[in-house]
Amino acid sequence: MSDRTLPRLLQTPAVLLLLVWMLVPLGMTLFFSFIRYVLNSLRRPEWTSPSIDNWRGFGNYQFVWNNDGFWLAIYNSVFIVTSIVVFTVIFGLAIAILVNRSFPGRGIVRVLLISPFFVMPAVNAVLWINMILDPVLGLQGIAVAGLNEMIDGLRDFPVLGGFFSLWPELSPISFRATQTSAYAVIIMVTWQWTPFAVLIFMTSLQSEDQQQKEAAILDGAGKWSMFRNLTLPHLGRPIAIVVMIQAIFHLSLYAEIEIVSRGNGNKNLPYLIGEFATNNIGAASAAGIFAVILANVIAIFLLRMVGKTLMD
Amino acid sequence: MASVTIEQVIKRYGDTQVMHGVDLDIQDGEFVVFVGPSGCGKSTLLRMIAGLEDISDGTIEIGGTVVNEVAPAKRGVAMVFQTYALYPHMTVYNNMAFGLKQAKMDKAEIDKRVRAAGEILHITDYLERTPKALSGGQRQRVAIGRAIVREPEVFLFDEPLSNLDAALRVQTRLEIARLHKRLGTTMIYVTHDQVEAMTLADKIVVLRDGRVEQVGAPVDLYERPKNTFVAQFIGSPKMNFFAPSALAATAPADLRGGSEDALLVGIRPEHLRVCEPSEAIVTARLDLIENLGEHVLAHMVATDGTEFIAKMETLPEGADTSAMQFTAAPERVHRFDKASGLRQ
Repeated sequence: MSDRTLPRLLQTPAVLLLLVWMLVPLGMTLFFSFIRYVLNSLRRPEWTSPSIDNWRGFGNYQFVWNNDGFWLAIYNSVFIVTSIVVFTVIFGLAIAILVNRSFPGRGIVRVLLISPFFVMPAVNAVLWINMILDPVLGLQGIAVAGLNEMIDGLRDFPVLGGFFSLWPELSPISFRATQTSAYAVIIMVTWQWTPFAVLIFMTSLQSEDQQQKEAAILDGAGKWSMFRNLTLPHLGRPIAIVVMIQAIFHLSLYAEIEIVSRGNGNKNLPYLIGEFATNNIGAASAAGIFAVILANVIAIFLLRMVGKTLMD
Repeated sequence: MASVTIEQVIKRYGDTQVMHGVDLDIQDGEFVVFVGPSGCGKSTLLRMIAGLEDISDGTIEIGGTVVNEVAPAKRGVAMVFQTYALYPHMTVYNNMAFGLKQAKMDKAEIDKRVRAAGEILHITDYLERTPKALSGGQRQRVAIGRAIVREPEVFLFDEPLSNLDAALRVQTRLEIARLHKRLGTTMIYVTHDQVEAMTLADKIVVLRDGRVEQVGAPVDLYERPKNTFVAQFIGSPKMNFFAPSALAATAPADLRGGSEDALLVGIRPEHLRVCEPSEAIVTARLDLIENLGEHVLAHMVATDGTEFIAKMETLPEGADTSAMQFTAAPERVHRFDKASGLRQ
């Protein structure tokens, strides 16, 4: 018996538990995805219980693959996740650098900055879509109406009025529409998750070496050059962390999509799975396996991109 | 190359004043060391010359131009930091080239300068490595290289050796001395280590609490310290001080006869020697011996309880350690005013 055996034995229960935790659901999903299994069927009552007798092979996969919404869902998943990640990193960087310098009331500002993160996703979505983005009652509607009124007033001016009368009337955007509902989701999730990026970037900025900056000042580097050559490389690792964690989280967005448009026009994969799962568990499981594959493809890309930063 | 003139420089942080009107003249090509205990303002003064701290009052001139309002990069100074402050994401080459690139210098010229500096500092083999892959001593060389390539008028060193281990410190100290000899540029060097100050400096500036205590050649400071602070700061172990009452009856009358409140007698440990009772300046018993091999440090207690240290080659054989007599050459005995601490 080598001296490694005892520690390994002691670890075994934990490892086994984790394995079971992961493998059982995955195994069940795989099994369901290869059989006909629905919750409710008057015509074929034998399909309502999971059984190997109802084997369907790759039928469920074919069904999902050929579903109208499938490719849109994949495209939307990738589009929404990428947009959110890009915006949160940019806004997060800008805000973290802004609040990194000292000013009166910095403590309060920091707490306020973090607070969106504590709002529940569903509440966040309701607030945004009804109170801010609503074309009539929301802030957006009020702002657009106000602008129109102002331009209207300017039209009565001599000389200049002629110029303003060429302007078209602005119309508010309906964010529940098929073409725009994805943007609404991106806006609200970006608002909610920017604080997360700010929090991580802020702690990292505080650990930045001040003497390096002084050396750069003596080397004649300007603000932009210092940001580009010192701060940005220093933030490489936190950026990688923010990107990875958010990619994992936002692949499973659901509440916002449900509340904004009930999936109208901007279903993502989890939403599609949800729709199948109202009755067709077999198809839902097949879509779930596709989601696992998509998540892995994205994870491999991310690891390729950011893995190097994390390894250094 | 340039001279540096500091006139009535004052530094305040809010209401607290930390530099109290410093005046200093640094000649072209001189190696000047600022020395003093922590918090004496030596680093602040250096950073004011570099332009990293602004000057509350007074003027600093470099090469005849007042630089109070000149941007750090335009002052013709280059600085070597205590923590090296290398740019961690750049190779050694790019670390050295960074300043030149910022100045939009020609690529070929940059390459020439970086390789020349690499030659001088023997770092040509790892120009393509990042600082992470270097040892402390190598990093410090790169930091020095980064200063050299800019061909500054004045080099500024902010405790460059304090992060190195003892052996490397001695070696790097020598290299800095060689570098000064080779380049002949004005160098200003901050340290709290009086050994570095003594070995490197043409001129030492001793600072305390934001004031200049004494300026002079190392030997001057050692032989003729202006006050008790400088006397204690320069030299290791520290100078011993005796009140007149601590001295033996055989001590010269002008030392022993001095007023108790007015006089403090200072003798360096290395200048005390064991003697006959008839010529003793001080009598003491041995408390403890520290044997360093090449010499011993004898910790003594004088008859009135004053503790002092005597440095000698060996303890004399058969000496009565309960009552030893010490004397020193008259020119090695320093007299200070007790109240003001000034040399008499």
